[in-house]
Amino acid sequence: MKNKSFCERERSYIERMNKFQLSNKFKIIGYYFTFGVFALMIGKKFFEEPYWVKPLLRGLLLLGMLLISISKDKIEDEFIESLRSQSYRIAFILAILYSLLQPFINYGVGLLFDKNETMEGFSYFQVLFYMLVVQLMVFWQLKRMNK
Amino acid sequence: MKNTLKVQRAIHELTQEELANKIGVSRQTINSIEKNRYVPSTVLALKLSAIFKISVNDFFTLEEND
Repeated sequence: MKNKSFCERERSYIERMNKFQLSNKFKIIGYYFTFGVFALMIGKKFFEEPYWVKPLLRGLLLLGMLLISISKDKIEDEFIESLRSQSYRIAFILAILYSLLQPFINYGVGLLFDKNETMEGFSYFQVLFYMLVVQLMVFWQLKRMNK
Repeated sequence: MKNTLKVQRAIHELTQEELANKIGVSRQTINSIEKNRYVPSTVLALKLSAIFKISVNDFFTLEEND
């Protein structure tokens, strides 16, 4: 009995998490937020800034893109949900391939210019940024194709 | 899976937009169903069948590769 209620609680928790979406107005907020942070990232190149500004702006940029990603469309029906799922699946797979291949590509390109090039990793920001960009672009493209 | 949505819509003189508003989906959804790019859920199929007053079986037919 206890096991059953535990499983049911677990299932309802996952279902709630699966259905969680922000309202459409957060999409607009997300766009303003993302473009604002992006402008600041470009602007900061012309000024000297403390060391914590760069990671903070990166975090805020990811947050803005996440807001766009998890906000509902004006009409959020089952078809849009299916397109959204497809875009998440594609973004997830491409981000894994990206993180597997990118160090080798960097290394290969680096070797062309510098024989002493060493293989280096890359930051979490690159992978998450790539994943969110792919998800948003694929979702937008799928919607455009089905207009 | 094929469907007769476009024909039924023409019979009932409904635009994609009007039909979409009636069942609470976007026009894109209706367009994609008509073009066989999207197979609707049972709930949506039943809503369509109720609007056009025909059974789901008359509305949707399986193709050979289904």
